[in-house]
Amino acid sequence: MSLALALLMLAGILPSLAEGLTLTDMIGRQVSLATPAEQVVVLMPGDLEIVYALDAGEKVVGRGEYCNYPEEALALPAMQSGGETNIEQIVALKPQLIILSKMAQTPEQVTKLEQAGIAVLVTDAQSVAGVYEAARLIGQAIGKSAEAEQMVSQMQAAFAEIQANVPAQAGKTVYFETSPLQWGLWTAGRGTFMQEITEILGLRNIFDDVEGWKEVAQEQVLARDPDYIVTLAMYFGEGPTPVEEIKSRAGWEKLKAVMNDAINNADADTLSRPGPRLVEGARALFDFVYGD
Amino acid sequence: MRTKARRFTLTDYLALTLLTLLTMLVCLSLGSVALPLDQTLATLVGALFGKPADPGIAGTIILSLRLPRVLSVALVGAALSLAGAAMQGLLRNPLADGSTLGVSSGASLGAVLALALGVTLPGLSQLGTMGMAMLFAFLSLALILSLAWKIDASLATNTIILIGVIFSMFASSLISLMIAFSGERLRSITFWTMGSLSGTGYTQAFTLLIALLLCAPLILSSSHELDAFAIGEDNAHTIGVNVRGVKLRVLITVSILIGVCVSIGGTIGFVGLVTPHMTRLVVGPAHPRLLPASLFAGAIFLMLADLLARTIVSPIELPLGVVTSFIGAILFVLIFFRSRRAR
Repeated sequence: MSLALALLMLAGILPSLAEGLTLTDMIGRQVSLATPAEQVVVLMPGDLEIVYALDAGEKVVGRGEYCNYPEEALALPAMQSGGETNIEQIVALKPQLIILSKMAQTPEQVTKLEQAGIAVLVTDAQSVAGVYEAARLIGQAIGKSAEAEQMVSQMQAAFAEIQANVPAQAGKTVYFETSPLQWGLWTAGRGTFMQEITEILGLRNIFDDVEGWKEVAQEQVLARDPDYIVTLAMYFGEGPTPVEEIKSRAGWEKLKAVMNDAINNADADTLSRPGPRLVEGARALFDFVYGD
Repeated sequence: MRTKARRFTLTDYLALTLLTLLTMLVCLSLGSVALPLDQTLATLVGALFGKPADPGIAGTIILSLRLPRVLSVALVGAALSLAGAAMQGLLRNPLADGSTLGVSSGASLGAVLALALGVTLPGLSQLGTMGMAMLFAFLSLALILSLAWKIDASLATNTIILIGVIFSMFASSLISLMIAFSGERLRSITFWTMGSLSGTGYTQAFTLLIALLLCAPLILSSSHELDAFAIGEDNAHTIGVNVRGVKLRVLITVSILIGVCVSIGGTIGFVGLVTPHMTRLVVGPAHPRLLPASLFAGAIFLMLADLLARTIVSPIELPLGVVTSFIGAILFVLIFFRSRRAR
């Protein structure tokens, strides 16, 4: 009896010892794969950028609808994500693995995908360190661990280089804005990539007393009078540009940033996506603040 | 219950104007950034007498940010509340409001369409949104009325409300569809549909003032007809009220008011529904008193709600629509129970 049990246990363990792998994803779930996945669906833009950075774009069989980088990924079938996630659409692609994020998906969706026989890897990168962890996890799951280590060390080196070039007299303040005034002033505070990059650049976010993405009072921006304004608003080619719109606001003309013309329309994706291009976002911001 | 005078006297007007101005002063002196009261008063008095504004931050905050916003909020509150009171009287339905009639949704649909297609009029980019919102408020009204007409030529109240609700759902589904099929551009509308007046300036306040000055007299002058409606449309007809004429006049002015408000502040719920009810408990149901009182009450209610929205979790700002629904619902229940017990 006990021998039979032992044999049974051994039989269960053996395959995983041989070639299977078990990972702990970023919300503490155990993810088991017989072999590193060859057909993968990736729902979040940041995770997809990581997969491509690991030189594994050919393994992706489906992408989330908001994934728009790199350009070659646009040719992949687009999956609905978030609240509209269509499980059937994903199952039909027969992937071995789906990579999705805690922020956008629900536990019920994860369970349903698992029941459909698809391994689910949940990422939850909220900081640069989190991006490194996500990259390593994804690397293991798709058999690109060495590439993941390489990506992490490249990012670390890039951030270190940016930080080393920050002039000694840094310490000015910056205000981030994610939408035009018409929709209310939304800013990025503590716990965002923008806050982290601000610190790397030796700057201070005027809303570092705010947690996450929040709508803030206009008079607070005037009272806190930032040295730099960075807007992530998209320009659609008509009407005033986001920078012009900020300059034209009543009462803003006396702000240091407006008087010194220190307003930048930055690329939202490179400053907010948990992926390798955060380095680009940081570099662009460095050039805006300290560049010639 | 004591008997209430039927007319709204000059004293009533003066008292309510004073109360509104007082509320305005409180809302101007309080905000996310704390400013000393004497500085606020000095800035306002200075501006009133045409003195150049204080070059410091206080002058900018009060004159460039708070004053236009408080004015816009007061005017939107007044317009929505008056529109709600008029609708409730006209349809003899305590739940009637711009939203139940489908005018708000129609206006939103127009505004969203303007944003999706990038409709702009020369001069001001927001003018396109506003024009489309008003146009669609009109079009929805025309559609709802003509449908109601086809079904029931007397424009019976239940038919209008039912068609209004169905049209609301239809318009909302069209908005959702447009958001689903458009890219980044329309995603910001999710913020806007919550209702916010945080970015309003003097242009918007002026537009609202014009709309209110044009529409309010038309609604206020229908007070006695609305009283006659309260007894029943047939009775109103018998005592010589031009039922269809009054209906059309009120419905069209209401749709102008709502169209302008929606294009400037998005959908701000509960004001048109709750303030007239609260006002009715104080001044009674007669429209010659109810309509002007609702006008002021709406302004005061929305100014106070906005004050909470911009100060309660400073430096963060809450969407105004969230605050109006929250305090509106609680106030409504409280007043309702107190008036029940008093009887």
